[in-house]
Amino acid sequence: MRAYQDMVFSTAVRLTANPAQAEDISQEVFLRAYESFDNLRSSSKAGGWLKTVATNLTLNHLTRHRKRWRLFSEVFSDDTREEEIDSAAGVFDTVFTELESDERRARVEQALERLPDHQRVPLVLYHYEEMPYQDIADRLGISLAKVKTDILRGRVAMAALLAQGGLVASDDRRRNSSAPRGANP
Amino acid sequence: MSSRDQTDEKLERLVTRVLRDQPLRRAPASLETRVLGELAARARQPWWRRGIATWPGSVRVPVIAICAVSVPAVWILTLWLAAHLVAATRSRMAGPLATIRDAGHTVSALGTLSTHIIQSIPREWLLGGFIATATLYATLFALVAFGYSLLFPRPEYSKVHLT
Repeated sequence: MRAYQDMVFSTAVRLTANPAQAEDISQEVFLRAYESFDNLRSSSKAGGWLKTVATNLTLNHLTRHRKRWRLFSEVFSDDTREEEIDSAAGVFDTVFTELESDERRARVEQALERLPDHQRVPLVLYHYEEMPYQDIADRLGISLAKVKTDILRGRVAMAALLAQGGLVASDDRRRNSSAPRGANP
Repeated sequence: MSSRDQTDEKLERLVTRVLRDQPLRRAPASLETRVLGELAARARQPWWRRGIATWPGSVRVPVIAICAVSVPAVWILTLWLAAHLVAATRSRMAGPLATIRDAGHTVSALGTLSTHIIQSIPREWLLGGFIATATLYATLFALVAFGYSLLFPRPEYSKVHLT
């Protein structure tokens, strides 16, 4: 259990953005693993099994609370502008190259937790769980177009959250340090 | 590939790089204690409160046999009881049944009357009523959608200045 508990908890907490719920789900995952202990003990796929069960249980948990936002979030089309996307790409590049790993970890976790469910869940499934768009659409019961729109908006919104409180200054500092002395007043 | 597609792809690549580089979240120390506690609590339960798959064989086999026999037995008993009940009810309910039949005739007559009334209404009126209902429905939907967008606004991207 110790070998897999961080992986199971990470899977659940990234999808739910709620450590208490993620702990409950992780507990359920390990109780189910105990019931299948004879099969899992000798299997080399125990990690994959645990990850799949953790993902499925978390999505089942989220589905119970998801119906109320699904209808109206389907109404709005993708109106994200190209400059917003370009700006977001700049933020992610800065985050990766400029921030220390500890600060980056904390900021990314915080930004992910603050995303709304309908953006965070498909984003996590796509980037962490490596699920194709169509599989995400099937699993969440929404259209393929909505999955793509939500993931794109999620990336842009996450960049906005990451940029809050300091990245701009960091980026400016880098530009100023590379500029010739006395070039700017 | 369009400029927009290239921008989307670049963002996807950079997000993937940042997220995949994230270390795993450390599970709370209480998780292991909770799982072990729950397993111990389950182990303390008497055998008959656990799943039938874990029951002793000497109990499980007779229980399954009893269940297998009782299903057709209950089915036959139910059919026998139903046949007797229908016969007994039919003789006692002759009066009330006649009343129900009369009520059915009345409802049928009212339906015929309603059909005649609807057919006598001009088609223009019906069309107008349909358009008015559809307009009201669309207005209500737009109002609710507008309210939703006010309650759950998108983040303000315009606050991000990187260049």
